[in-house]
Amino acid sequence: MRKVKFRFSRKAFAYPYMIFLLLFVVVPLVIVLINAFLGDDGKLTFDNFIEFFSDASGGLTVLGNSLIIGLVTTLICLVIGYPVAYFLAKYHASSKIFVLLFILPMWVNFLIRTLSTKAIFMALDIKLGMGTIMFGMVYNYLPYMILPLHTTLVSIDHSYIEAAEDLGADRFTVLWKTVLPLSLSGIVSGVTMTFIPAISTFAISEILSSSKIFLFGDSINMYFSKATNSLGVGSVMSFVMLIIVIIANVLMSLTEKKEEVKSAL
Amino acid sequence: MKKLFATFLCVLLLLSVVLAVSACDDKGVTTDELVVYNSADYIYDTELTDFKEYYRAVTGKNIKITYVTYDTNETMLTKIEKGDSVVDVVCPSEYAIQKLLEGGHLVKLNYFDEDLYTDGFNFAGYEHFSGQIDTNIIDMVEDAFSNLQIKDEQGNLTEDKITDYFVPYMYGTLGILYNKQEFKRLGIYDKDVMNKANWGILFNDDGSGNILSEGLTGNILMKDSIRDSYAITLFYLKESGKLDGLTSPDGKTYTDMPVSELINVADSQVLDICREVLTEQKKQLFGYEVDFGKDDLLMGNAIVDLAWSGDAMYAVDESWDEYLCPKCVSQTGEKQGTDIICSECGAECGDYELSYYVPHSAGNIWFDGWVIPDTYDPSHLTAIKLFINFLNNPEVAIQNILEIGYSAAVSPEAIRQVIEDDDELKGELSEAYLVNSDYWEKVDEDGKQIEKFKFNSWQEFEEFFFDYRNEMDNSNWRYPFLIDVNGNGVYDRALNTLGVMRDFGENNKAVVTMWNKARSTGVNALPLLGYTVLAVAVVVGIIVLCEYLKYLKRTVVKIPKSETDGSASPKD
Repeated sequence: MRKVKFRFSRKAFAYPYMIFLLLFVVVPLVIVLINAFLGDDGKLTFDNFIEFFSDASGGLTVLGNSLIIGLVTTLICLVIGYPVAYFLAKYHASSKIFVLLFILPMWVNFLIRTLSTKAIFMALDIKLGMGTIMFGMVYNYLPYMILPLHTTLVSIDHSYIEAAEDLGADRFTVLWKTVLPLSLSGIVSGVTMTFIPAISTFAISEILSSSKIFLFGDSINMYFSKATNSLGVGSVMSFVMLIIVIIANVLMSLTEKKEEVKSAL
Repeated sequence: MKKLFATFLCVLLLLSVVLAVSACDDKGVTTDELVVYNSADYIYDTELTDFKEYYRAVTGKNIKITYVTYDTNETMLTKIEKGDSVVDVVCPSEYAIQKLLEGGHLVKLNYFDEDLYTDGFNFAGYEHFSGQIDTNIIDMVEDAFSNLQIKDEQGNLTEDKITDYFVPYMYGTLGILYNKQEFKRLGIYDKDVMNKANWGILFNDDGSGNILSEGLTGNILMKDSIRDSYAITLFYLKESGKLDGLTSPDGKTYTDMPVSELINVADSQVLDICREVLTEQKKQLFGYEVDFGKDDLLMGNAIVDLAWSGDAMYAVDESWDEYLCPKCVSQTGEKQGTDIICSECGAECGDYELSYYVPHSAGNIWFDGWVIPDTYDPSHLTAIKLFINFLNNPEVAIQNILEIGYSAAVSPEAIRQVIEDDDELKGELSEAYLVNSDYWEKVDEDGKQIEKFKFNSWQEFEEFFFDYRNEMDNSNWRYPFLIDVNGNGVYDRALNTLGVMRDFGENNKAVVTMWNKARSTGVNALPLLGYTVLAVAVVVGIIVLCEYLKYLKRTVVKIPKSETDGSASPKD
C-alpha cells in the first residue's frame, strides 16, 4: 500500500486566523465602503458624501470637536505621562509596584470604570460636561501613553546619559538632548495609542456628559443604531474616520523612520 | 493544502449530519410547528407553556414553538425584508407594521371578521376574542392609517384597512416622568402651573415663554430616541406659538391641524424650527438617555425625564418611600408601632417620589400588534391564528400586563369582568402581583414567615390595573382613553388629543439629519483648545524664562565659557 503524503507545513496554523481576518475585518470594511455610496433606494449616489461634507447634518462640526478633544487628551496625557514614565524608569528597582499601580485600572472593565467615575462626579455634585469628559478621557487613556513611554525609557542605555553628563551637560540638557530624542519612538507610539481611540470614543462622552456632548463616535453610533434608513451617512463617517486613522498612522511611521535614519547616522 | 481543506469539509459534513439526525429525533407525527419572532421581554412566558397546553386541548396535537427575539424594529424589518428564513408571526410597532404593509410583506388576517378568520379550522373548544379588544384602539388605528394605500399581490389598490392585517397587542403613551417631591419644593406641583406648561416642562418653559423654574435648569432629561423626541418637540412648537401663522407646503395651517396630523408633519420649515428649539433646549438639559433615565431620576440626578408609560409606572412603583411625609415633603417619618408617622406634623407617612404626567394639549400613543409576515409557512397557519387569538384572552392579557408593565389592547372592561367573576383568579393574581413586589409575606426579624399574604390586599392590586390616576391631570396612565371607573370620576382626556405616529417615509432621512445637527451644534470644543494652547504657552514660557535666567547667571560668573554655553541654550 502506498503511503498517503500529507504535508502539514507550519503555515497552516495561520489559516484559521487569516480566514477570521478576511471575514470579520476585510469584508465589513468593503460593506462599509459600498454602503457609503448607496442611497435610501439602493442606487449608486454621492448624496451621503454631499450631506456629510456640506455639514448639513452637523457632521463636520462633530468631527472638529472630536479632533480637538482627541488632540487635547493626547497632549495632557503626554504632559502627565512623560514625567511619570521618566521617574518610573529612573528609579527602576523600586518602581515595579508603581508600574503595577498605573496598570491596575486597566484590569477593571472600562465601562465599569467610567460609570463609577460618573457616580463619583454625581456624589461630589460636579456638573457633567466638557470638564468631566476630559477627565474621563485622560483617566482612561493615560495608561496607553505611560506604558510605551516606560518601555522605551527603561531600554535606554544608561551609558549615553553618563556620557552626556561627563561631557558637561546639566540635568536639563541631558533630558532635552539625550533622553528625549532617544525616547521619541515611545512618544510616537504613545501618541498613536492615545489619539486614535480618543477621537473615535463614544461611551465616555455618552456616560460622562449624559450624551449632552456629541462626538464623532456618538454620531456614527446614532446613524447605525438609532435611525432608520441612514446607513449611508454613517458609512461615510466611518470611512472618514478610517482615513484619519490611516493618515495618523502614516505620519507616525514617517517620524519614526526619520528617527531611525538620524540614529543610524 | 487541498487535502487539508477536504478533511475540514468532511468533518463539517459529518457534524451537520449528526446535528440533523438529533433534530429529527422528536417522536412527533402529530406535532405542529410555530415560529414566533417577538421583541425581547415582551411576553409573560417565553416557554409558552400555557399556549402549548391550550393548543393540545383545542386541537389534540402537540406544538413545537421556536421563540426568537429582537432588540429593535429595525433589526426585525431587515430580517423580514430579506425573507430567507421562516417566521410565522411577528410583533412590530405601528410604524414598522406600516412599512411592512407598504412593502407588501404582510398576509391578510381578518381578525375582526370571525368567519373569515376561522375559515379553515373548526374546533369545539375555540373561542374568538376579537370582541374583547378595546374599540377605542381599533378606531384610533383605523383613523391614523386611513390614508394608507394597500396593494394586493398584482399591485392593484384594495379597499383593505390596516386592521385587516394585524391584531393590537400592547400600547402606551409618551409622557413626562418627574420627581413629585422636587416639584413640590420648587413650588410647581400645581394643577394650573403644570397644565399651563404642558410639554414646556421638558423645555423649562412655563407656557408663556418664561422660565418655569430655575431649579429645573440642568435637571431635565430628554430621550435619545429620534421619533419620540421629535414628536414632543412638535407639540411644544404648537403650544408655544412657534407655528403660529405658518402653513404647510400643501396649504394647511399647522395650528388648525388635529394632533393626529400634526404629529406626522416633517417638512423642512418645521424641521428647521425644531432644530433651533432642540439646540436651545440643551442649556436646560442634564442630558439624553435611553436606559439610565429611570435610575437617574430615582437617584436624584435629574428631576424630569421624557418616558414611556410602562417604564414610568415601573419607576413610580419603585419610588415608594414609606418614610416620606406627603405633607412636609421630606423624610420625617418615624416608626410608631406598625405605622410610620411624621415627626413634624403627625400625618401618616408614605408617598411616591416620582409621578407621571401626560400633558393635556397633545400626546402620542403608540401600539404594537401581531402580524403574519410573508415569510410564514402556510402549513402553520392554524397554529398562528390560534396563537394570536390566545393572546387576546383576557386572562392571558392580565398575565402580560403584570409581566411587561404596558397596557394590553384587551379592554379594561373585559379584564375587570374576568377578574370579578373569578375569585380564585383574583386570589392567584393578587398573590402573583405581590410576589413580584416583595410584599407578599410578612417575616419576623429572623426571616421566619409570620403571615402569608391574603386576599384582603386585593385593593392594591386593583389600583395597579384600574386606578393609576394622577390628581394633576385627571388622567389614567394605564388606560389613557375616556373611561369612568368605580365612580371615581370621569377622566377627562379626549381621544383626539392623542396622535399615532406613522412612518416618516421619504422624510425619514431629513428628520435624522435634523436630529444629528441639533445634537452636534451648541457644543464647541474650540475654547478647550484655546485653554490648552494657553496652558502650554505658559509652561513653555516659564521653562524658557528659567533657562534664560540660568544662562544669564552663567554668563556673568563664567565669562570665558559664555560662547559654548550659549549654544546649549534650549532655544535650538
